[in-house]
Amino acid sequence: MSRSAAVELEGQATEKEEALSSWLRARGRVAIGFSGGVDSAYLAVVARRTLGADNVLAIIGRSASYPAEQWATARRVADAFDVRVLELDTDEMNDPRYAANPANRCYFCKSELWGKLVPAAADRGFSTLIDGTNADDVGGYRPGMQAARENAVASPLAEVGLTKAEIRARSRALGLPTWQQPASPCLSSRVPYGTSVTPERLRRIELAERAVRDLGITGDMRVRYHDDVARVELAPGELASWLDSPRAEALRAAVAAAGFSRVALDLRGFRSGSLNVLHGVTPA
Amino acid sequence: MSIFTSMGQAEARRRADQLAASLAGMGVPCKVEPRAALAVLMVESGVAQRLADGELRRAALALAREQGFTHLAVELTPPAAGADAALPRP
Repeated sequence: MSRSAAVELEGQATEKEEALSSWLRARGRVAIGFSGGVDSAYLAVVARRTLGADNVLAIIGRSASYPAEQWATARRVADAFDVRVLELDTDEMNDPRYAANPANRCYFCKSELWGKLVPAAADRGFSTLIDGTNADDVGGYRPGMQAARENAVASPLAEVGLTKAEIRARSRALGLPTWQQPASPCLSSRVPYGTSVTPERLRRIELAERAVRDLGITGDMRVRYHDDVARVELAPGELASWLDSPRAEALRAAVAAAGFSRVALDLRGFRSGSLNVLHGVTPA
Repeated sequence: MSIFTSMGQAEARRRADQLAASLAGMGVPCKVEPRAALAVLMVESGVAQRLADGELRRAALALAREQGFTHLAVELTPPAAGADAALPRP
């Protein structure tokens, strides 16, 4: 990005952040569905700065589909920026509608999440619950957003028009460690629709992705589950170098050690919503 | 919906074989295992690294798309396993 484009982006983002602060001030107190991802971390920090510590509660829903690494990031951000945190266990894995992994799986997960978070927030005096959905998320295939609407969860980042790029720019300016963190949706997003989601499968995926990260791969990356085959998607810029023999073998061995008998490297590389394309839910 | 959801196994196999023949023609000899709209290339040792070439990779992806595959991946095989292990068992 050129310097002038970066300055323009920063200017737009700052204006939208002011609109976000106004939105938050109008509510007075907010509880946040908090994952420690780029969006909810930014939202929690802006809310904390705008409303003060007593008026913000970041709630983490923990389950087998939530990566431990992401949880650690969430706690780190909350500690560094003095954001109060509540942790709750969610139980979507025991919902057969979720475990069967239909294309609208996220709806059942988010129904469980908000179904737990809304009363927990209300018990603590928070009548407004918000999430980190941003302006870029609105057009995509996201059945989880329906569950948010049904539970009256607001999405102020999307309402004020903050895009992912703007959130990253402002996160950087605010000193958030998440500013360049790759997007990290729940682990179940690595399992093709129709293949059941189990804690054991998610654990294998999580181990494999951690092993890939340990090789020094920092960009967008996913390990997709295809029964015995793990299909690794790397950022297009990193892909070519991992096809060379010594590194390809290191990658294969790392993923195989997580419990996959076969490892394949995707030749197009990482794409968000890859499995939606595979199943024809969204166009290629 | 993916075209593979309504396609029989024989048709998926035919498309996979056609893709394998096309890839062999451009210097990537392989077997292709169709898994719905995912094509997994099984190659002998040393062939996968040819696909580090961006132009070759893009051409391979285009051939896969022509056969209806939305995803193309190359299987990474352990070097000690030998060439035959990369190929499907009879």
